[in-house]
Amino acid sequence: MNEAVVFECFSYAYPKTEPVLNEIEFVVPRGSFTVITGPSGAGKSTICRAMAGIVPNYYGGRSAGRVLVDGEDTAGQRIADLTRFVGLVLDDYESQLVSLTVEEEILFGLYNRGLAPAEALPAMRKALNEVGLTGKEKLRLDELSGGQRQRLAIASVLAYKPDVLVLDEAASALDPEGAESLYRMLDELRRDYNLTVIVVEHELAYVLPYATQMLAVVDGRVAACGALDEAFSALWTKPELRALVPDLWQIKFTMEAYLNRKLGEWRTAAEAAAALQTVLTKGETEEYDQRRTG
Amino acid sequence: MINVEQVDFCYKRNQKALNQVSLTIAPGEFIALVGRNGSGKTTLSRVMMALLQPTAGRVLVDGESLKGKKPSDVAGTVGYVFQNPDLQILAETVAEEVAYGPAAKGVAPEEVKRRVHRALELTGLAELADAYPRTLSYGQKRRLAVAAALALKPRVLILDEITGGQDAIEKEAVLSVLKRLNEEQGVTIILITHDMSTVLRYAGRAIVMAQGSVAFDGAPQALFAGSHPLAEWGLSCPAVAAVAGALLPGEAAPADAAALCQVLIEKMRRNGSCN
Amino acid sequence: MQLTAFSKIVATMAVTLWAFLLPAPVLAGLLLLEVLMLFSAKPERSSALALASLLLFAGLMVGLQLLFSDDVVTAFLGGLRMMVMTTSFLCMFATTRIQDITQALVEKFRLPREYAFMLTAALRFIPDFLADSKATLDAQSCRGYSNSGNPIRRCLACLAVVKPLVLRAIVRSETLALSLELKGFGGQAHQTLVLQPLHVADYAFLLLLTLVTAGGAVLRFA
Repeated sequence: MNEAVVFECFSYAYPKTEPVLNEIEFVVPRGSFTVITGPSGAGKSTICRAMAGIVPNYYGGRSAGRVLVDGEDTAGQRIADLTRFVGLVLDDYESQLVSLTVEEEILFGLYNRGLAPAEALPAMRKALNEVGLTGKEKLRLDELSGGQRQRLAIASVLAYKPDVLVLDEAASALDPEGAESLYRMLDELRRDYNLTVIVVEHELAYVLPYATQMLAVVDGRVAACGALDEAFSALWTKPELRALVPDLWQIKFTMEAYLNRKLGEWRTAAEAAAALQTVLTKGETEEYDQRRTG
Repeated sequence: MINVEQVDFCYKRNQKALNQVSLTIAPGEFIALVGRNGSGKTTLSRVMMALLQPTAGRVLVDGESLKGKKPSDVAGTVGYVFQNPDLQILAETVAEEVAYGPAAKGVAPEEVKRRVHRALELTGLAELADAYPRTLSYGQKRRLAVAAALALKPRVLILDEITGGQDAIEKEAVLSVLKRLNEEQGVTIILITHDMSTVLRYAGRAIVMAQGSVAFDGAPQALFAGSHPLAEWGLSCPAVAAVAGALLPGEAAPADAAALCQVLIEKMRRNGSCN
Repeated sequence: MQLTAFSKIVATMAVTLWAFLLPAPVLAGLLLLEVLMLFSAKPERSSALALASLLLFAGLMVGLQLLFSDDVVTAFLGGLRMMVMTTSFLCMFATTRIQDITQALVEKFRLPREYAFMLTAALRFIPDFLADSKATLDAQSCRGYSNSGNPIRRCLACLAVVKPLVLRAIVRSETLALSLELKGFGGQAHQTLVLQPLHVADYAFLLLLTLVTAGGAVLRFA
């Protein structure tokens, strides 16, 4: 089984509302780093919830098609069972914390899953270590900064070792430094444990170095999907969605159109600068001018 | 417009959130206030709105000290838009929401109507005047909060991280409103933000806070030009400035991707024709 | 050696009993002891504030009793009893973490775990709720509203603030419910928490409590 999550023509409407997802079709391979992006209200959060079985199992509502998690249809499965495979960190990182102190927050989920203290305590320490909160076990939640609360929410999910980690706008309250280190950490976890990482993010510059594939959702439909080149190209062809393409790739597509040739998959500004530097050298330009005049 | 003179602020004993901050803000500026979380940028903005009283030093708005004043006294001159739009919606319709401020200030009903109309026009919400504010999209709520602040006709607008959690399209919608206000109405904008590409694209002046002090004060292009310890301040260099810095050393960074491409294409043309 | 939360809960209940068994001079001594204990455990302004508000309340009670009956001794004894009882609760909360109290309630007093959780969750959300209400009040004052003028206008202005807060609280509680679901709360798998076994000190303390209670009962009824 090489697919962690598969959406098979999945449509969904919350009770008494219009459909929020329409025929979503997409695959998350194991060990991938998937980025979901799109305007607010487009259905990104609902997609995340569908992966944890909250939609449709918790909310009810109408659905069509299937969501397969670890090869099995989520419909009718217990959410507590599904979360052993898919760990979901909700977008409201403050309100999803339920305990009074850091260690209780993590132990809460572990005890609920039937772990004995002898297993739960090492799992807790390991999870705190992974998110860089070691030594803060006894702190009260209101003594933590926003970024630390965010990391705690992630640790409480990591502690029961899911195969897939889904984060809904995890970086929205972080400063650039915090966001960068969060995504670096997620990528390390992905490499170390073959974890499948799925994140919802608006600021694509943060995830550009790590993403293996992208899904853009607009009005509950898939607007672009696939490897970065494929997905960004699809967005670039639609003028009203161009703004969703990160700056680096806006430069790439504009220059590609001018030069009439491909410029590679840019992940960082340094890569882009290096590629453009070679283009800027005389030889290339002459060759290009000849091609244009000739 | 606003003078901050050697201001200190302490939340708890011996913990200085602001340390000897001095600034002068001129009318018509577009300022980005940046720095890592906890660096003092929000505290500084709150001191300028009289939401906090400095422990030492003073703040002058239009030459008048804010000492002993309340935010409601300052509200006619300085507007403040908070981070979470949901926590600042106080009325049942969009129009009533915008009218709340001037009505609280005792402005005549006719004038309130005029101001509501104007504020909704400026923020592109005129068609939603009768809508229930909570049914708006996140981006629209943000613009509503801006409209509500505008109804008091402030000459300075302070905005605390209002682009967070928004996609590029919504972000552009709210920032272009601010840009128009700044250019056409001369409203001074102080934007607290974590988004470095916004700083480069929109701000005329960047103020970096680090550990309660001003670490940098100058043009965004100069901030991202490469000689400043951005990582030490918890900042990152926007992609456009990083690419421009590598390819066009010594030149001021263009504001956005399109402008950078234009410069690069110009340069290629010149290189090609010169040789 | 530290006493467990169980012993402290029993002690608080015993003190409640003593308040009706022991004579006034002993109660006065007990109250003094409690006050000393409170301030040695938590030498903060909040302790003084809590004690002051209890005193005010007790004073009111004494005043009312004096108004409706002329027995001065009964009135003051009533006030003293109330102080002894309530201060013992202050002492318990000052020396014990709320989590340990709820755990003891679940373990030893068979309180359903869901109820115990509600108690801590409510405490957990108090700082967030206070932050929310501060944000809304700030937003209101930045919109030109000044907290002065006639009382009716002020009440209306208050209502405007309540609504966003309630809506935000509802959103928070929805997220909380979802989060509990994700964390497997209420499932059958749950293991007993790290138990709080009673130590020698606890047994000695409980024995002492029994002796004092028995002594008090003998004094009172014999």
